[in-house]
Amino acid sequence: MHMTPMTYEQPKSASEAVALMQECGNRAKVLGGGTDLIVDLKHKPGIVSVLVDITKIPELQGIEETSEGLRIGSAVTYTSIMKSPVCQKLIPVVCEASHTVGAVQTRSLGTIGGNLVTCVPSADSAPSLMVLESVVTVAGNDGERTIPIEDFFVGPRKTCLEPHEILVSILIPKKNLGKPSFFLKAGLRKGQALALVNVASSLNIVDGKVSAPRIALGAVAPTPIRVPEAESFLEGKEASDENLKKASEMAVAAAKPITDFRASLAYRNQLVKVMTYRTLKSCVDNQ
Amino acid sequence: MLVELKVNGEKRSADVPPETTLLKFLREHLDLTGAKLGCDVGDCGTCTVIVDGISVNSCLMLAAKANGSEVTTIEGLANTSELHPLQKSFEELGALQCGFCGTGMLMSAKQLLDENPDPTDFEIRDALAGNLCRCTGYTKIIEAIKDAAKNMRAA
Amino acid sequence: MATKPTQDLDQKTIVIEDTESALNAPVRVKEAHPIIYPLSLPETEERKATPAVGQSASRPDARLHGLGQTKYIDDIKFPNMIYAKVLRSEKAHAKIISVDTSEAEAMPGVYATLTGKEIPTNTFGPTFQDQPVLSDTVVRHRGDGVAAVAAVSEQVAQEALKKIKVVYEDLPVLLDPEEALKDEVLIHPPKSNIYTSKVIKKGDVEKGLAESDHIFTNRYKTQFQEHVPIEPHASIALWDGNGRVTLWSSLGRITLGREDMSRTLNLPQSKIRMIGTIVGGNFGGKNEITNEPILALLSKKTGRPVKCTYTREDEFVSSTIRHPFIMDFTTGVNKEGKILARKIKMILDGGAYCSWTGTTIGKGSILAAGPYNIDNLQVESYAVYTNKTTTGAMRGFGAPQVCFAYESQMDEIAKTLGIDPLEIRLRNAFREGSLSPTSQTLHSVVVEESLLQAAEAFGWNRS
Repeated sequence: MHMTPMTYEQPKSASEAVALMQECGNRAKVLGGGTDLIVDLKHKPGIVSVLVDITKIPELQGIEETSEGLRIGSAVTYTSIMKSPVCQKLIPVVCEASHTVGAVQTRSLGTIGGNLVTCVPSADSAPSLMVLESVVTVAGNDGERTIPIEDFFVGPRKTCLEPHEILVSILIPKKNLGKPSFFLKAGLRKGQALALVNVASSLNIVDGKVSAPRIALGAVAPTPIRVPEAESFLEGKEASDENLKKASEMAVAAAKPITDFRASLAYRNQLVKVMTYRTLKSCVDNQ
Repeated sequence: MLVELKVNGEKRSADVPPETTLLKFLREHLDLTGAKLGCDVGDCGTCTVIVDGISVNSCLMLAAKANGSEVTTIEGLANTSELHPLQKSFEELGALQCGFCGTGMLMSAKQLLDENPDPTDFEIRDALAGNLCRCTGYTKIIEAIKDAAKNMRAA
Repeated sequence: MATKPTQDLDQKTIVIEDTESALNAPVRVKEAHPIIYPLSLPETEERKATPAVGQSASRPDARLHGLGQTKYIDDIKFPNMIYAKVLRSEKAHAKIISVDTSEAEAMPGVYATLTGKEIPTNTFGPTFQDQPVLSDTVVRHRGDGVAAVAAVSEQVAQEALKKIKVVYEDLPVLLDPEEALKDEVLIHPPKSNIYTSKVIKKGDVEKGLAESDHIFTNRYKTQFQEHVPIEPHASIALWDGNGRVTLWSSLGRITLGREDMSRTLNLPQSKIRMIGTIVGGNFGGKNEITNEPILALLSKKTGRPVKCTYTREDEFVSSTIRHPFIMDFTTGVNKEGKILARKIKMILDGGAYCSWTGTTIGKGSILAAGPYNIDNLQVESYAVYTNKTTTGAMRGFGAPQVCFAYESQMDEIAKTLGIDPLEIRLRNAFREGSLSPTSQTLHSVVVEESLLQAAEAFGWNRS
């Protein structure tokens, strides 16, 4: 399979990338790891003629703890996240989520930013970043702006990014670093599988009561979603089995899965219920 | 555009269209046909090579992206006097049948053992999740990797 | 832990029994079961005398495989070689009104094009010759080849395909094999869609059924399956100064291939050389020619060696696949579960062209009754054309499909009669000297030994 002739640009800064994207308009696409885009271009040759490779831009690199929290550059690969001692200590749930993506080769090229920008409902990195209340930084014509991650996803394969904007980094706020969080993915295989359902949960127990519970579901709605009803229900309550199960049922009510050749709606609902309960319980048991 | 990189320790270069993948670059421009084209979309792993120490699907990586990098292919595994322990174990334990998935398997296995000299069965399976085989059923491949790992630790 | 939803699949709320255990089930990794093999067979004097049986031998090609030096077809290149691509129909069933390759030919980098009309004899096939090299009058499945291009690179060839203009006239599309039996829409007029059949009769099946204590009637269906060899199909054609063409090909059956080449090119076999090299997986899918005549003609036109490889999508859509079977099994048994009679009707979805259906229907029909002693047997099988990917040879040639049916029904019978599934099979199994469905006397029969050793290995206790 062949891609049509294209030009390849490697801008040296975010502002250079933004300027290039502005200039080329819909002739260009941003290239991260290429694990999605290159496949697309092989199946639909000719949709773009310029590739803007952002993976060497300095502002898009790095994993560092700042006064505000943990900052991860959007061009950081899943493998780098999994191997980073800082990530393993402070956001192990994101490392686990990264491990479920594709296979070793995919994770070595694929970037965490790319996963968010491609924005499929089953994006594996989304639920864990959502329960940690991450904030993304985007570079545009007027400089940078920050967006809470749940506002970043607008629809299937649609983010709130303007065509010329570049996702620069993701910040996990300081208060959520080290917060007990768990992620589960259900797929038809253990590797190289699209998620049937993705669930992440995160909560603290303070004075015997649930504090700051967060639940996110993937692959059961047009975008990854939080479950505010379940979260406000659990807030301040005892972390009893009964309460956790009630919260799981609320998660099922919030989910809008479909029946397709991979799984039926009923099975996906069952998965949401069981996986929400299990992730919540794991948070409670690992305070 | 001119792409210059190190392949198996040697400086190599070629002037190629920008949309050339690293796989095509190796196979057609450098005549290194060890990495194979099985699906061209990053699912089967026959194109696996090691770039700057990490295994990648070379069918998804533009050659231009690998500019300045160090690439290891199957052709760089054995040296002039002996096989790499992985190649030896694969041969002795009958891990390959038609052989087409072999180069990808060996490169993924090499990257695994370079990082993790004593992998568990689960870790081997996890490392090979991106390499498909239709002939063997994988059992002998996993045995061969364990055997090679043992020999490499003993050396 | 398995639970059944008590309402329709598409209902939002479902009631799950046994949710407690679903929620609290510990996640456990099962220990891998030890494999005990090889099957221990009796140590006869003959076996002890052979030097090779039971010994370990290394493959002659293992060394080059490990080094990455094995040359598969796509690894081979010749000086001045050019690349071909085939334009494949998006339509499942349509008349070809016209094919215009002029714009493609005019593209820089394109050396030649080819259409079905230029093939000297445009039919070939392992069972009968119903398949065109390139369709020239009708396309019969999505993925049927219509025209080909040879260009300086694969990239140019792929672009050139877009410039070939084909005008189609839609024909009704036939996808259901049971519909195909009715012959209302004909795929290869004036022939019936039922293009081959087989009948096997042994004893008196109606009498056997009449004497049975229980009769079981079940329908079983199997699906399409693609071989997915990790190496896609590939071939290279080149001519020498003496008017002989050489094909380097991933094709397995090269002598048969040469016959087909001789036929389609109107060339004596002495002028055709087929070289089959190490193949990256065949499993039956590389048993007949695909692009080879196209490449030979393009090579002749251009005076250059021509290579063509299938994409992975081509492999799924345009290479042969396994036959889906629809199988109706009517089995009469006595109270002890002994089969007295079995009547089987099978429909094979034969795809757009015949390929290896003749062998598949034969083998499938003979094996359909299973490895069981059945005195009264009738098997009737039909293979029908449909507007789908050609079904051909795949590991087993019909055996896996019928095995699914007869073993599933055996379990049904065992469950209904309250007999242990292993026991019921032992009561019916072939033994030394049993007669096959076609009344062949069988020797070296190890069905009972295999079942018993397997049962012991996985701890099955016969009740």
